[in-house]
Order: sequence, then structure tokens, then C-alpha cells
Amino acid sequence: MNDWLFVAPLLILGLGSILMMLVDAFAKEKSELAILSSITMGVAGMISASALLSGAEAADAPEMVTRFLAVDPAALFFDVVICFGGALSALLAGGYLREHGLERGEFYVLLTLTTLGAVVLGRSTDMLSLFVGLETMSLGVYAMVAFRRGSSTAIEGAVKYFLLGSFAAAILLFGSALMYAATGSTSFTGIAAAMGDADPKLVLIGLLLIIAGFGFKVSAVPFHMWTPDAYEGAITPATAFMSVAVKSAAFAVFVRILFVTFGDELSMSLASGWPPVLAGLAALTMVYGNIAAVGQENVKRMLAYSSIAHAGYILVGIVAAFRVGSEAVSAVLFYLLAYTFSNILAFGSLILLGSRGREAVSFNDLRGVGRRHPMAALPFILGTLSLMGFPPTAGFLAKYYVFSAAVQAGGSMILLAILGMLTSAIGAFYYLRVTVFMFMRDPEPGQVKAIPMKSGYVVGALAISSLFVLGLGVMPGDVLEAASRAASLLLG
Amino acid sequence: MEIGLGAYLGLAMVLFGIGASGFLMRRNALIQLMSIEVMLNAVNIVFVAVNRFHPADHVGQIFSFFVIAIAAAEAAVGLALVIALFRIKKTVESDNADTLRH
Amino acid sequence: MTTAGFVLFAISSVIAFFSAIATVGARVPLRAALFLMVHIISLAGLYLTLSAHMLAAVQLLVYAGAVVVLFVFVIMLIGPASETKPTMKNMGIRLVSLIGMILFTVTLAFALVSHAADWVAIETSFGTVEAVGHELYLNTLVPFEVVSATLTVAIVGAVAIARKATEFEVGEAKAARQATIDALEEARQEAA
Repeated sequence: MNDWLFVAPLLILGLGSILMMLVDAFAKEKSELAILSSITMGVAGMISASALLSGAEAADAPEMVTRFLAVDPAALFFDVVICFGGALSALLAGGYLREHGLERGEFYVLLTLTTLGAVVLGRSTDMLSLFVGLETMSLGVYAMVAFRRGSSTAIEGAVKYFLLGSFAAAILLFGSALMYAATGSTSFTGIAAAMGDADPKLVLIGLLLIIAGFGFKVSAVPFHMWTPDAYEGAITPATAFMSVAVKSAAFAVFVRILFVTFGDELSMSLASGWPPVLAGLAALTMVYGNIAAVGQENVKRMLAYSSIAHAGYILVGIVAAFRVGSEAVSAVLFYLLAYTFSNILAFGSLILLGSRGREAVSFNDLRGVGRRHPMAALPFILGTLSLMGFPPTAGFLAKYYVFSAAVQAGGSMILLAILGMLTSAIGAFYYLRVTVFMFMRDPEPGQVKAIPMKSGYVVGALAISSLFVLGLGVMPGDVLEAASRAASLLLG
Repeated sequence: MEIGLGAYLGLAMVLFGIGASGFLMRRNALIQLMSIEVMLNAVNIVFVAVNRFHPADHVGQIFSFFVIAIAAAEAAVGLALVIALFRIKKTVESDNADTLRH
Repeated sequence: MTTAGFVLFAISSVIAFFSAIATVGARVPLRAALFLMVHIISLAGLYLTLSAHMLAAVQLLVYAGAVVVLFVFVIMLIGPASETKPTMKNMGIRLVSLIGMILFTVTLAFALVSHAADWVAIETSFGTVEAVGHELYLNTLVPFEVVSATLTVAIVGAVAIARKATEFEVGEAKAARQATIDALEEARQEAA
């Protein structure tokens, strides 16, 4: 029984999506699907969360499963992050799709199956399950971006995302094929075991190609070009999902592959391994993401660049882990969880602030909306405070842990931490600018005034996220403990 | 003349490079999709060739099966996107620098 | 490697090389699709030299039979618009990336060609339907099940993207447009 617990989230997501297709075929009321998919993903996340917090051991999971999917605490932790991100996005979609007349049941099926792919990706311990999970997730996301198929912004963003995404997947795949050529194995541990006698040329090329492929998926500069277009073109609940669950899953497997497969002396050395490459990517990503976010007039594009910047902070944590070890990895895990809830708050209240014909997407749309509807603007402020790293929110602690891990690592890592703090200060500027527009600017004469929509689903998602953002910021104890246990077992 | 693993790997690399160059140079979404297919096929050559030199199991060949299945799924979604693009723009050019800022 | 194997390798690799260039360079997508089919068939020949009989058959049936036909089908559906005129847009960046890609490919190809390994003896069952099926359904069952989710996503996604708007959607789109017009009108009156 116990061994089933560890694959139960996958089974629930798979069966839930089949059930949803049946309900979609026979039910008239599509918003039932929102609650159904949200419950499916929520339950999947809860199971992993309870297994994680109770400290259950995967005593005898069958070898057939463990060869491809990890059942360790880190896997469970990522399950929780991904499934909660998916469940909250489903709630947001429940309000958004009905308000804007896009109510089609496919969205929820795509969302659930994409979450299934993301969970497989986050858990994968073999190049094969990595590739299959990655493609399941990506194909679903491409379709979600193109969901508003009559809009040229949506379709062009999706075509760009699809072409570059498939290109990056092919590069990642070629990298893993070269690792197979070098070591004769495709499992992460098998590759690591054979690394000693492997041809270093092949390993180095493979490593670089794999990093480039992942750099694309987590939208690190210079592989970020698709991000603003896809984020802007997608319907807002899909954007929220991309920025939390998809990104977390890509980071999950990235961390695993770096420390399990490329955790040997040579690949981790400062002279010839991945730390300097990732440090460069992190620095570029933080600087470019934050600076480019300043000039944006569209709030969704601004949040897209902000999500690029956050990828940079997370990369700092990953690079720091090559010296500090599990402490830095646990900071990354905590960061992903905090980032999930903060981002859902930001995108969720952007959804809440608009209604049919009066959608709030640009800074100008938000003029004065905070004074007219303070309760609807509140979650946005909480979300941006957390993204900014302001105490007592979860985002503050997350940033604090990541940067203090970087300082502990010493050497040039301290420079990265300082750069991170400086660029965070730029971040404060563009996040606060939204608040200024909401409370201190009057709408221009003749301008459409944004009116908040009424939706229990969206309000529910915002309430849950607010609770978590404040709760994790004030009492991070249990979650932090689970994260550090997961990290230390992951690093072995 | 003896043909070894190196010949297969070199050939795969060249074909992968041709596919990648096509992807970068062309602006026709259909041809870019086909370039990606060429790249995925080059990856398959590596898997199958290496498997021949590690014949204890069929890991490489199995991997190729999965790549073929997923390439088919990718083609389905990609072609659906091309059709949607064609409905709106009446062209399949993927260069969208005009309508989307960077 | 036997002489027959060597001859097959030589013929297949030469055809694969030129058909790949023809695929990515073709001006007309239909021709590109046909060259892609030639490319795929020549790769099946390469798989035969590597004792991957089952895979060679699947390559012909699934790839040449299904994927290329799907391409041709879409090209026919789109018609003459599937051809695009050559454009000089962003030519600088494209040329730089092309030269970079060629240098990268040539360097790596030379590095890889020198990778030597001895031909090992294989059992007669290697690459047969029985051996591959055994491996697929007993050892890689988990990814195999996940692929079913991938295919479902692809089908649902393709339907969600490419289906024509239903009556309900047309109505909703009209209502949304009307709401936008109303909101603008209201704002204008307020200003006046």
C-alpha cells in the first residue's frame, strides 16, 4: 500500500483528466470542470504533501517505477509545488474563461494533463522519462497559449514558443544522446557511475547542450526570447500556470540532473564544469530581466520579464549549491514554493481587476482602480511585495535564504549575491509603479475604467495564496524542514 | 575501409547541423517544422548506433521508438498551429517581428 | 561489418546527407516533404546496418507512412499560401547564426568521428520484434504509459487550436466585442 502512495498523484492526474473529458462531453455547465480539475490537482498535491510531512519512506517501490521516476522527498516536494500551482490556475481559469466567453472544456483537460507531464518531468531519473515528461508538458502548454485561437497575438506567441521550444527540446535530446554515447546509459545514476571512463569530449559537449536546452525551458537569458510574447499572448490563467508550474518542473529536473548526473569532481570544478557557465547565465538573467521589465507598458509583459529575473535568482541558488550543498538546494526549493503563491497572487488579481470588455492588461488600464476597488487591488500589492522580497512575506525569506547561501559559498559567489540584491532594487521600482498607477493616478478622460469581475473561484484562489504567502513568511518552520530534508537526501 | 561508431556519430552530427541551420535560416513555419524532424532523426541515429556497441540491452532502440512517437505528437500540434496561423494571417511565415515587440 | 553492410551504409548515408539538405533548402514545402520522406527511408537503411530491424520497419510505417502524410495533407489544405517568398528580414542575424552553426557542426563532427569503439558480437535476437517488445513492455512500461498522456495532450491540443469556431463561440465573441464597444462609449460620454 505504502509504495502506491508515491505514484498515486500521477494516477489521480491521469484518471482525473479522463473523467474530465467524459464530463465535458455530457455536461452543459463548464465551470464544474474548473472545480473538478482543481480538486484533482489539489488532492494529488495533498497526497504528496502528507507523505512529505509525515516523513514516510518509499520502502519497496517497484524497480520498474524507480528506474524512471524518483520517489524521494525532493520528488514529493516538487509534486506539491507543481500540483498546487496547477490547482490554483484551474480556479483562476474557472473565473476568467466564463467572464470572457472562452468557456471550452478542453482547457481543463489540457491543464490537468500538462500538470501530469510536469510531475513526470520533475520526478524523472532517466533521460527517457525526462524527454517524455518534458514533451507532455510542453505540448499542453503550446495549446494553452494558443487557446484564444481567434487572436493573432495568441497564435503568433504560440507559434514562436512552439518552434523555439521544439528546437530547444531537440538540442536537449541531442545532448542526452551524446551522454548515452559517452557512458552507455540513460539513467541519471547510470551516467554518473560510468562518468569515470567516459570520453570527456562527449561529456562536455553533452553537458553544454543540456544546459542550453534547460536554459530555454526556465527562460534564462539569452534563451528567453519567447517568454514575453508567449506570456502576453496566452490567456492570463495559462500565463500564471506557465510562470509557476512549468518553470518549477524545469528547475526540479535541472537540479536533479546537475547534482546526480554531473555531481562528480570534474563537472563541478570551477575550471571546466558547469558552475561558471550557470553563474554567467544567472548574472545575465538577473540584469537583463530586471532592466527590461522597467520599460514595459503591459503588466503581463512586465510580469514576464519579472519571471525571467526570478529565474536568475533561482540560478544563483543552484550555483551556490556546488559549494554549500544541501542548504542552498533547500533554499531553491523554498523559493519555488514561495514564488508559486506570489505569482498566482499577481496574475490572479490582474484577472480579478478586469471584466468583459474591460480587461486590465496595461498600466493605463489600472489607473485609479485601487481607489475605486481597494479590496480587489489588495492581493496584487501583497503579491508584488512578496515578489519584491519585502518582509514578512514568503518572498522575503526565500530571497534571504538564496542570497545568504550564495554569501556562504564565498569567492565570486558573493559578487553574484550583491548583483542579485542590486537588481532586486530595480525590481522594487517596477512593482511599486503598478501600485502608484492603481492608487495615485486618475484615469484619463474618455478612458475605459476597469471594473472587477465577480467570481468565487478567483477570490478563493487569491485567498488561499494570500494565506500561504503570509503563512510561509511568518512560520516557515515545517516547510523549511521538509525542504532541507528533501535537499540533503537529493544530494545523497 | 572499416566503418566504426565514429562514422555514425559524425554523420548524425552533420545531419543535426543541417536541420538546425535550416531551422535558423528559413522563415516558413512548415519547413522549420520539417527541419526539427531532421534534427530528431539525427538524434535517433546516435541512439541506434550506440546501442549496437552496447548490445546488452535495447535502451537506445527503445529511446528511438519514443522519439518517433513524440515527433508525431509534436507534428500534430505544430501543424494545428500552422493552420491556425494561416487562418488569421493567410500566410505561414513565422517571422512575427512586426506585431510583437521584443 | 560485412561488405554488404558497408555498401548499404555508404549509399544510405550519401542519400541521407543530400536529402536533408534538399529538405531544409527546398523553396516549395511539398518538395521539402517529399525529400523528407526520402531522408527517412534512407535512415531506415542505416538502421538495418545497425541490426535494428524492428526500428527500421517502424521508421517506414510510422514516419514515412504517417508523419510525412500529415505534412502533405496540411500543405494541400493550405494550398498556394504554404509557399513564402524569400525574405531579407533580419538577414544579418540569420547569416551570423548560420555561420556559427556550420562552424559548431564541423568542429563537433570532427571531434565525434574520432570516437572509436570495437564492433561487438551480438546475439541473433538483437533488434528483433520479440527482443524489443520484451524490453518495451517489461522494462519501460512507465514511460510507455506516460506517452499515452502525451498523445492525448496532442490530440486535445490540436483540436483546441485548429477547430473552427462553434456557434456558441461566435456568439460569445460578438458579445465580448459589444461589451468593449459599450465600455468605450460609456467612457466617452462620461468625459463629455
